[in-house]
Amino acid sequence: MQQRRELDQVYTNRKLLNGQLDTPKWWLPTVSILGVVVLIGVFVIATMINKGLGVTGLARPVYWGLFITTFVFWVGISHAGIMISAILRLTQAEWRRPVTRAAELLTVFSLLTALVFPLIHAGRPWRIAYWIMPYDVARGIYPNIRSPLIMDPVAISTYLTGSTLFLYIALIPDLGNLRDRTTGWQNAMYTVLALGWRGNPRQWKMQTVGGILLSALMLPIFVSVHSIVSWDFAVASAVEGWHSTIFAPYFVIGAVHSGVSAVVTMMALMRWLWKWDDFIRPEHFDALARLLIVVATGWLAFTFLELTFALYGQDAPEIALREMQMFQWPWNMLFIIFFLTGYAIPVPMWLFKRVRTNIALMFWTSILVNVGMWLERFLIIVPGLARRTPFVYTWEAYRPSPVEWTIFIWSFAWVTFLMLLFSRFFPLVPLFEQKESQVFTDDVMIGRAKVPAIVREAE
Amino acid sequence: MSKSILGLFQQPEPAADAMDGLKEAGFELGTFDVLTGTPYPEGAFGEHVPQHRLFRFPAFGAIIGFTLSVFLTAVTQLAYPLVTGGKPILSVFAMLIIMYEMTMLAGVIATVIGIVFESRLPNMQPGIYDTRITEGWIGVVITFDDESKVADAESVLNKAGALEIKHA
Amino acid sequence: MTNEAVAHESEHHAPPPNVEADVIARELIATTTGASGRFKAWAWILGILSVVGIVSLVVKFASVGDDSTKWGYVAALVSFLLSVAGGAPMIAMAPVMAKANWVRPITRLASIFSFVSVITLIMLIPLVAILPPLVTEGARRRTIWYLAPDYSPHIWGIAGLLLLIVTGMMLFYSAALPDFASMRDHSTGWRQRLGKRLARGWVGTDVQWRTLRMRIGMFGTFYFLILVFVNFLITTDFGQSMVPGWRDAILPMAHTVSGFQGGVAAVVIALYFSRRFMKLEKYVHLDAFWSLGRLLFALTLLWIYFFYSSFIVFWYGRSENDIATLNHQIKGPFLPVFIVGMLLIWFVPWWILIWNKVRRGTSAMVVGSFIILIGLLLDRIRMFVPAWSVPGDQIHQKWLAETPAAYWPTIFDILIMAGGISSIALIVMLMTRVIPVLSVWQVQEFNLLSKPIKYVRGHATLVAKPD
Repeated sequence: MQQRRELDQVYTNRKLLNGQLDTPKWWLPTVSILGVVVLIGVFVIATMINKGLGVTGLARPVYWGLFITTFVFWVGISHAGIMISAILRLTQAEWRRPVTRAAELLTVFSLLTALVFPLIHAGRPWRIAYWIMPYDVARGIYPNIRSPLIMDPVAISTYLTGSTLFLYIALIPDLGNLRDRTTGWQNAMYTVLALGWRGNPRQWKMQTVGGILLSALMLPIFVSVHSIVSWDFAVASAVEGWHSTIFAPYFVIGAVHSGVSAVVTMMALMRWLWKWDDFIRPEHFDALARLLIVVATGWLAFTFLELTFALYGQDAPEIALREMQMFQWPWNMLFIIFFLTGYAIPVPMWLFKRVRTNIALMFWTSILVNVGMWLERFLIIVPGLARRTPFVYTWEAYRPSPVEWTIFIWSFAWVTFLMLLFSRFFPLVPLFEQKESQVFTDDVMIGRAKVPAIVREAE
Repeated sequence: MSKSILGLFQQPEPAADAMDGLKEAGFELGTFDVLTGTPYPEGAFGEHVPQHRLFRFPAFGAIIGFTLSVFLTAVTQLAYPLVTGGKPILSVFAMLIIMYEMTMLAGVIATVIGIVFESRLPNMQPGIYDTRITEGWIGVVITFDDESKVADAESVLNKAGALEIKHA
Repeated sequence: MTNEAVAHESEHHAPPPNVEADVIARELIATTTGASGRFKAWAWILGILSVVGIVSLVVKFASVGDDSTKWGYVAALVSFLLSVAGGAPMIAMAPVMAKANWVRPITRLASIFSFVSVITLIMLIPLVAILPPLVTEGARRRTIWYLAPDYSPHIWGIAGLLLLIVTGMMLFYSAALPDFASMRDHSTGWRQRLGKRLARGWVGTDVQWRTLRMRIGMFGTFYFLILVFVNFLITTDFGQSMVPGWRDAILPMAHTVSGFQGGVAAVVIALYFSRRFMKLEKYVHLDAFWSLGRLLFALTLLWIYFFYSSFIVFWYGRSENDIATLNHQIKGPFLPVFIVGMLLIWFVPWWILIWNKVRRGTSAMVVGSFIILIGLLLDRIRMFVPAWSVPGDQIHQKWLAETPAAYWPTIFDILIMAGGISSIALIVMLMTRVIPVLSVWQVQEFNLLSKPIKYVRGHATLVAKPD
């Protein structure tokens, strides 16, 4: 049942702008601690760049390890934003409203973080100028666009630019609201950012039509980004376990699985930290969990197909790889944890409404999913490289070094830090969407039953 | 700058009455407008539904993006012809991916420009306004070339039950 | 106030007004009785074509026997029928999942298509009979049946399809129960007797409705899962494993998704004709076409996505295996078929359906849907005909050393395909004489849950969303 109640707009403003107008007490200490972690991370990255990649555990033949895994992981998380806000906007799902902004934000910040990993992983990051952008006409050397490693930055920067602009466009009405509620330098800042928003029919029409149009444009980009990331692996025929045609949709649906779970985690945190119980309600978690059941099961089907067709060829190296992935220590342990946390524990739990509407349980299960999904990427990327083949003479297994782990932890602190910093200046729940849902919902009496209803404009 | 007044209402119904009254009193469409803090269903106030050309922007952007991407992918490969992995210098199927991304990127950027332009933003002198509009109040704003009609408009707003009238 | 008056009151189109529940029942039940001369003529033509198709199948089986290289077009037809007839009923479970109101009136039409799966099964029988064994002289070909147990894959293909048919019919029947009761109460003659028999004492108690909803949800979910699985079986056992070295992990999913595409296109066509010839404009609103159009558009784009995802991996791979697969599936003798198919299943409908104006209307939508179905057929032909053309002595090799020459259809192949396709239309047409083509209770529910309202000065529809 929907537990909708009429919310006064003044109350909505006061509650949803509490991050900007009166900063919560926990904000400064939390941001400071995260800031310290971020600084440590930056220092470690600098050290690594100074000393070289020798400080990592990467060595022949495993050159793609924790960094690339974490890169794919963050690109995956970034798929939450557009999945939630574009698909749900296009399907006019009412429950999307409190979720969209935070999801888009997660897209932007996790993409920014993801981009860092291939760059620092390149060893000499300042040479990036020769990798992607050497359009210096003088020497006549140009990047090889046939390489997926070029397509990748192109796709990610397209997605990043698009999502940032999308985020900004949907922020304009709320910036107008903040302008009306603030004074002094803040007022000046919001006045400039709001571009003179007034809320006339033309501007609102552009918000709705433009929102739908941008969603329709962003969706194909969103699908392409993780597909291209997957082709980093899939087009290489030399590594077993990678050369599979299913990789593109398999990566995309896996990304949606982990991304939507990350949104659930974040929504729970938002509800607890800013006390937005009136806006982020159990029914939203219920809807997200229902979506997740479908997505997770689809993802499982793709996992099944990937495995089936890997063995389908009956090639000895491929079978050996899968055997190692699933039955040899320590991979078998990782595989079991991956399967349990990625599907076997959370999804059966979500089948119960009591779990779907329990925010603490949703918080923990969504974290479990992301543990599993990180391991999934690790199990895709590393075993294929680490398997001992006849001409490999390195007999040491890949073991991530403390430097890699520190940078891994840094990435989480960095994303959280950016999110909290953003929340100090901009609302995390779109206020106008929240109020719009008040305008567009009503109750109808069918017999004696009061049924929630939605106002739909004629197409 | 021409003169304008703003009538403030707390409920949509009287605001719509005011809009009707203005139409009846012979004010031209486009000289009065309704300001709200949330989007309402289109035509809820019997307002002038604005025409827009937003759909042209992405098409235009996509054409530019596509053209640029053809140039970028084809010309650079021809300028530095190095065979990799036995693939042809002009590998259409690899180029298509870059072309796709650049086309979409330009389409999105053009759409965003279109949204801002069609919203008639940025507008650093937005004119008469009240901060309570973002608290759920509804404003009916009328712009005049002819100051003699101010009184007419005021009476329409008052008759509809405006809680406050602001001048600028 | 008349409809026009409401429409003129504002520059916005007012939503269509509601219809009383008893009028709905009477009018929709009445659509099942009587048939125009044109209807009868078409039914005869399609019926004769269907019978000729099945006779040709038997004749072909008798004359060609177990030479599997001659059966490509029948395999393509099975795949086409599985796509259209299997994909269409998916729309019948959408409301349970998404609670979309527009889909309620048309779920009946979608679930009628599950009866067509019987034809799919008939066409599959000769293929199963001549499917080469997995192991010959100790060499086994690539297959999902790793240990090659006895009777696999033959028995599993048949069993899967049977399960799909049963589930599809159960989905149809569970949702049709209240309508059989309406027929019992409002119809005459054999339809009334049929209604009485099949309604199984339906009176519409709270418990009955609860059970009904639960059944629709359950059979809908099963149907979906079984459909994906049957697509997986057919594409691997009757496609991929016929070709040495063809290993395309995405194919089952791509086949399923383009099957939905074909299914939705078929539903659009059926909806268009029933709306037009049974005068159902009052019940099938343009809103349904608008929503189906968006769905079809998305599925059309998914076709190219799945195709490209698979293609690019082969193209980059460049191993002998990859090259052989590309030559066999695309670059070989079926290149023209592939290009025309791609244009018709993706490019042309994409450019038709992208326009809002098209999706708001019906005629361009129906043209787009026909184009998609032709494209789908060509797509299946270029996928399955070359697969079945591989000579039996090469089937156990590591990869395809030599791309077989194109096998063009004989007169029997053409007759079989024409018969199979006619049978889709015939079965849907005949079913409309048995049960209302729009579900009576769901049209009533649609009207109950949505009503045109005036919002301050604007027009809108208020759609109730019960849990």
